[in-house]
Amino acid sequence: MGVREDGKQATRQRVLAAARDLFEEIGFEEATIRMIAQRAGVSVGSVFTTFAGKTEILSHVMADRLEGMYAELDRVVPHLRGHTVDRLRSIMAVHYSIEMRRQRLFVAYISASFSWTADHSVIPLGQNVRFKGMLADALLEGLARGEVREGVNVDTFVEVLLAAYIWNYRLISREGADVTQLIDLMDRQIGVLFEGVATH
Amino acid sequence: MKHSPIRAVAAAPQPMTRRALAKQLTRAKLLEAAREMFAERGYEAATVRDIAAAANLSTGAVFASFSDKADLFNEVIVAEYEFMHASMVAATDEAAPARETLLNLLSLAYEAYLTDIRLVQAALSFCWLHDLLSEPRHIAAVDLVRGHIASVLQRGVDSGELSPTLDVKLTSEMLWEAYLSNFRRVIFEGRGREALRTRIASQLDVLISQRKAAA
Repeated sequence: MGVREDGKQATRQRVLAAARDLFEEIGFEEATIRMIAQRAGVSVGSVFTTFAGKTEILSHVMADRLEGMYAELDRVVPHLRGHTVDRLRSIMAVHYSIEMRRQRLFVAYISASFSWTADHSVIPLGQNVRFKGMLADALLEGLARGEVREGVNVDTFVEVLLAAYIWNYRLISREGADVTQLIDLMDRQIGVLFEGVATH
Repeated sequence: MKHSPIRAVAAAPQPMTRRALAKQLTRAKLLEAAREMFAERGYEAATVRDIAAAANLSTGAVFASFSDKADLFNEVIVAEYEFMHASMVAATDEAAPARETLLNLLSLAYEAYLTDIRLVQAALSFCWLHDLLSEPRHIAAVDLVRGHIASVLQRGVDSGELSPTLDVKLTSEMLWEAYLSNFRRVIFEGRGREALRTRIASQLDVLISQRKAAA
């Protein structure tokens, strides 16, 4: 990497870190490119040479968070023990614990995920392959252990689970719910879903 | 789902003074113009000035009926949910099995919005950022629709079609959330009505498959 590339990369990182913090502190809608540039210590012009706009910055902030998040999850998930239903609950609980550290940012991401169009190079919410894969693996392992019955539609199970997972964040604004309340609700929802796939 | 001012007036409580009626008409005209503008341009690009102009009213008339653009948009969404609920009630055959009824109602609800996908995008995106998910009228309107879904599920439980241990409220919420989330398939993958019907059918089956376990 040349000096110029290094500089570009450093600018990119500074802008993304500044944006992430501002979106969390004052909200996605209130944060302006000018404020982001100021916080990052770069010019407004250099923000625009790297990103087309605020929405693109948000999508990169969210894409960049995945690395740290999955490093954390990869340390936990292989050590999950117990019944399939508890493993599913643990995976979801870890996601809530991580995302709730920056809950306002995550809610902005949910919001943007509905307004983004197909031409953005973003991973749409709920289409995260690793998240889906983790849940599918837990179900398939349950199948192998005889806790999940044959013929279960794994993809659909995961879809319904993820839809509930995302909409549960609405309780933050509705009832000021904290991470424990979200996890409790998810635990009940997994209970309902699992009833349909469990061997009896 | 197109709104006519007539319907909004008809839905208002009776009797009405002439002045209240005029106010109601203004409100209905604005809601209709706003719906069209939001559906065409999305939330940000639709201005209060343009909405007022489209309704042949002054900008001041907008603020006499609604506190701001966000409030106006919220009322557009509330009206959509109320109309969706009324359409669902009208399309519900009390004698039909619960699964079939739910599948038909949700397919109907997809069909009605496939031509208005920008409005759906704006509504689902917007509600997260303006605390609309905690706004009482918004909650009440969503609960109307979700409540109808729950009533169909309950009928299925009562008739023995669905498991007696089914958590009706939680299941109705999850089904509704799956319905909403599937709009991303329209947005990102350009899926049509058949694909959506297949999708929601399979999600519905996962949610009510307890009946098989109980059988």
